[in-house]
Amino acid sequence: MNKKTKAPKAPKAKKTGLFTWLKNAWNDNSITDPLVCKRTLQSIVFKFFGITVILGMCFAILYPILKLFPMILCDVEDLGNPDVVWIPIHYSIVSFKAAIRLVFGNFSTMFLSLLYAAVTAFIQVVICAMAGYTIGRIKIPFKGLVFGLVVFQFVVPPQSLLISQYLNFKNFDILGLFQLFTGDTVDLINNPVTLYMLSILGQGLKQSLFIYIFSSFFQGLPKELEEAALIDGCGFYKTYLKIALPNAVPSIMVVAVLSFIWNYGDTYYTGYFHPDGPYLAMKLNQQFAATNANTVTDAVSKWYDKPAASSFTYDAVKQAAVLIYLIPLLVIYFIVQKRLVENFAASGIVG
Amino acid sequence: MSKNAVQKAPKVKKPMKFQTTQKINGYVFLLPWIIGFLLFFLMPMVNTIIYSFNEVGVAEAGGMEMTYRGIQNYIDLFQKELSTANQQFTRVFAEENSNIVMNTPLIVVFSLFSALLVNANYKGRDIVRVIFFLPIVLGISIVTTLVTTTGGDVTGVTAVATEESGFIMRLLTSYSFLPKDVIGFIMGVVADISSIISKAGVQTLLYLAALQGISPSLYEVAKIEGATTYEVFWKVTFPIVGSITLFNFVYTFVDLFLDSSIAQEVYAFAFQKNNIGVGSALSVVYMFDVLAILVVMVLILTKVVKIGE
Repeated sequence: MNKKTKAPKAPKAKKTGLFTWLKNAWNDNSITDPLVCKRTLQSIVFKFFGITVILGMCFAILYPILKLFPMILCDVEDLGNPDVVWIPIHYSIVSFKAAIRLVFGNFSTMFLSLLYAAVTAFIQVVICAMAGYTIGRIKIPFKGLVFGLVVFQFVVPPQSLLISQYLNFKNFDILGLFQLFTGDTVDLINNPVTLYMLSILGQGLKQSLFIYIFSSFFQGLPKELEEAALIDGCGFYKTYLKIALPNAVPSIMVVAVLSFIWNYGDTYYTGYFHPDGPYLAMKLNQQFAATNANTVTDAVSKWYDKPAASSFTYDAVKQAAVLIYLIPLLVIYFIVQKRLVENFAASGIVG
Repeated sequence: MSKNAVQKAPKVKKPMKFQTTQKINGYVFLLPWIIGFLLFFLMPMVNTIIYSFNEVGVAEAGGMEMTYRGIQNYIDLFQKELSTANQQFTRVFAEENSNIVMNTPLIVVFSLFSALLVNANYKGRDIVRVIFFLPIVLGISIVTTLVTTTGGDVTGVTAVATEESGFIMRLLTSYSFLPKDVIGFIMGVVADISSIISKAGVQTLLYLAALQGISPSLYEVAKIEGATTYEVFWKVTFPIVGSITLFNFVYTFVDLFLDSSIAQEVYAFAFQKNNIGVGSALSVVYMFDVLAILVVMVLILTKVVKIGE
């Protein structure tokens, strides 16, 4: 009986506010106790600084996004008005309309680039999981060398290989075979095949990092599972598909999410190897290049009858476009973020 | 019956040794990567080095024409050529390197700090976590470049911010023992906080994952033994996240170098100035620059991590 009545009381005592605590402390004279005083003061100071730091950092992180809203929602002619900081005087969605008309059109580009990111992420997961499994699990000759080369690849910036990779794709040939049969080399620049080929052959965007993630995950996987599978008669491929892959879900998710986000935002590979392709990030980059500012401003002032459109308008339209561009990523982020931490913990990079 | 079986046994094809099949299958799995590595990494790398010692032009037949120039390309790069911003390349490299070497530890320390903040226990932690990991999405370079404004920023706020930092700067200069350069550096970092934040998303996540992997019993022991929070951090937390610190350093460093202006210069040489030889020389210098600094950094860090352990 005693225990039952005591148990619910304990958490209640914790919840008493500062005022009640002061009152109690005043009543039983513990407020004059220097130790109690010091501790309370310490906790108050700690809390104050903790909350300040956390709130401040949250604001600093959100600031680039928060500052977009007043600009975008502001009437185009109000932009640059020193009276308007956070709350616009006249609301309008002209910048959104302009951004959609300029870049997004009927959103087919967005759909296609999402599709591209998804397909590439899928390819990268499959290829990197296979390579990672071999490096982390199978005893093959030259394993250390292969692992070292993966790390080396991660460290070498791909831009330093840009020139010769570009020339390579411009006159693409495998050991002179194409030259032999068709009489000419193949021009693979501006061809989506190039991008998919890079991913399939493990040389896409940050793929060496993904191989590293998978290999260190598979290294940490307990051996017993596979041994049991082998004894039960599973071959190499069946073991991989039935035992290794289902256990690697955290790594798969981490790699898939990162690969998707990075490929959706990639302007390097798409920009150099398939510059005319339907890639949103690249399109934004071209449309809103600083040299293009006047075009954007002129377009807005003509379309929406805003003669006062200025460089501020260009900024507003640009930011509206970024916001629309970010929406799919943010949706995905909010869906996966809860599981992201545990998945990272289990993905094998840590530890 | 059993005799038959014994007699038949040699006729059945001898199964391959388990380890041989494993090896073969392993290489089958690795095959795409090996092909890719040879075709799209090793070959371009060798070619880049070859180009860097040659003058590369387009031959009349359509192929490439190379004339050997020795190290003339490298000499030209540092003595004759100017970057797109009209600077000497020695200066470009010096600036980029010092920037990156300074920013890397800052970003790593910042991400450790934010991971510690999100790992602590308080109300509303989940919301704070959502916000703290947003840089994974907001930090991709296309967003950071497009979000910056040319003229129409929230002018009032920035004005207040500069005034405020001026006040803090005055406070620091007059009431602390720090030399002025150090304060200037700190203020520079604070003013540049958004670029640090935008680079720290993945690292924070990694640190948090590592922190959550530390067993609570270790903290309990430390607490019972009478360790202060400070001691707990240096003796328990820090050594355990040491290995991930190394990874984070390398990751941050590589990430920063990817965005460096040198990459744009390579592009300018190849496609605007049409000077493939010097562009390749720049690529080679760039590559070795990255590798050299990285090796030095890793060597120092492994020492530090060992001391921590």
